[in-house]
Amino acid sequence: MAAGYAWFLVLGSVFLCNLMKTFLSTLSSLLSKMIQKDAEQESEMRTEIQGMKMEQSSISMMDEFAKYARLERKINKTTDKLKTHVKSRTAQQAKVKWVVNIVFYIAQAALMVSLIWKYYSDPVTVVPSRWIAPVERLVAFPTGVPGGVGITCWLVVCNKVVTLGFNVFNQRSQL
Amino acid sequence: MDTGGDTSEEATGSSTMSAAQRRAEMRRRKLLLNSEDRLNRIVGFAKNGSDNNGTKAQPNRCRAQRVDIIMSRRASRRPAEPRFHLDLDRTEPWSPSSSSQRPSPFLPESSALSSLSHTATPERRGSPLPDCSEPPPAVEDDVGALRQRLKGERAPSDNISGSPRRGLQNYLSRFDDAMKLRGQLASEKPTQDGGVETEEFDPFRVFRLVGSILLAVFVRMFVCKYLSIFAPFLTLELAYMGLSKYFPKVEKKTKTTVLTAALLLSGIPAEVINRSMDTYRRMGDVFSDLCLYFFTFVLCHELLLLCGSETP
Repeated sequence: MAAGYAWFLVLGSVFLCNLMKTFLSTLSSLLSKMIQKDAEQESEMRTEIQGMKMEQSSISMMDEFAKYARLERKINKTTDKLKTHVKSRTAQQAKVKWVVNIVFYIAQAALMVSLIWKYYSDPVTVVPSRWIAPVERLVAFPTGVPGGVGITCWLVVCNKVVTLGFNVFNQRSQL
Repeated sequence: MDTGGDTSEEATGSSTMSAAQRRAEMRRRKLLLNSEDRLNRIVGFAKNGSDNNGTKAQPNRCRAQRVDIIMSRRASRRPAEPRFHLDLDRTEPWSPSSSSQRPSPFLPESSALSSLSHTATPERRGSPLPDCSEPPPAVEDDVGALRQRLKGERAPSDNISGSPRRGLQNYLSRFDDAMKLRGQLASEKPTQDGGVETEEFDPFRVFRLVGSILLAVFVRMFVCKYLSIFAPFLTLELAYMGLSKYFPKVEKKTKTTVLTAALLLSGIPAEVINRSMDTYRRMGDVFSDLCLYFFTFVLCHELLLLCGSETP
């Protein structure tokens, strides 16, 4: 009939999936940093622009207009280059995030389907059927075992409880 | 000599001015007297065709006179008034002669009015002019009289000409709503993307959840042998309904989502949407309580089985 710890296995799987979901954004940013090779170039450009701006502030526009203008052009050129670089980096990050999300959701769906396949006919736990009257058939779906708790009902319950728990935890951590 | 010459020029100038003014005044009075007939013509009540034949030779003169009257009226009365051709967004009253206020653009009367003013505007080049059998119509006065008339009654032809205009107004109002909702959605999206979307736990919500957990433990310990576990849960939910008024009410901010925006644009009133969302939220709360209750019950049951202290 029911495996002794099936309910715990399902609960653990749901917990793991929700945990992974909270760390998805962190994971995607880490991956994008690993993939991105020219991250230092951006910081160099920023430093260069900052240096040029400081130099420009020390030059008087009235006295050395040509130098000032030359520096202004250099700053503009470097700023445009930086903007292009940032744009491409952002696009790459978005792409990585999208891929990570897709992979995660596929993995989650596969896990859920496999759990349902495994416990299709076995309830995760059994209680006396009179305890869960009058909805014993609904709770036992799809096993059909009187008093049993079916995989679908248990998945829904675990998902809701774990989500609630994570929300409470996030709220407390924000406070 | 020069001063004498200047004086005579001034006298002729003043007499010319007064003559022009007098002519304008006469024209105005004549138009006011015939406003009813003109109104009928604008609205579309056909006059007999014999009137048209005599004056067909002077269309240009009619047009010039009409333009002249309109320009003189505008200069004298409302110099800053916007043009007629698209009066969907007018914000100031039209009629100077009557004290009628401009009706809301979303009322059916105003759409009929605007459609009629649109069709009756002769100053647009190429627009079909009403017949020149009568003196050139003062469109602005006609519109003012028309407003008063259409406030009370509506001619049958108005419905036909007014419905496309009304449809256009409806479309524009919906478009404005859509743009506003789009702005709201765009402003709410960064807050959702920024972090994990968490539900807010007000004191009553926390009380409910804790109550569900405690009841589940109590039911597993003492009650489940005698009756179904869902009976105490239903009793608890009924008790929560009564206790909710003793807790401070937290105003939940209604988020503009794609679903609510679509429902609003489809014509469903915002109040209905808010009530439905509120009902849905309450059902969600009950479902959360049920899930937590059942989970705690099963957990307690398994722990007791593990401990081996009790057989079901």
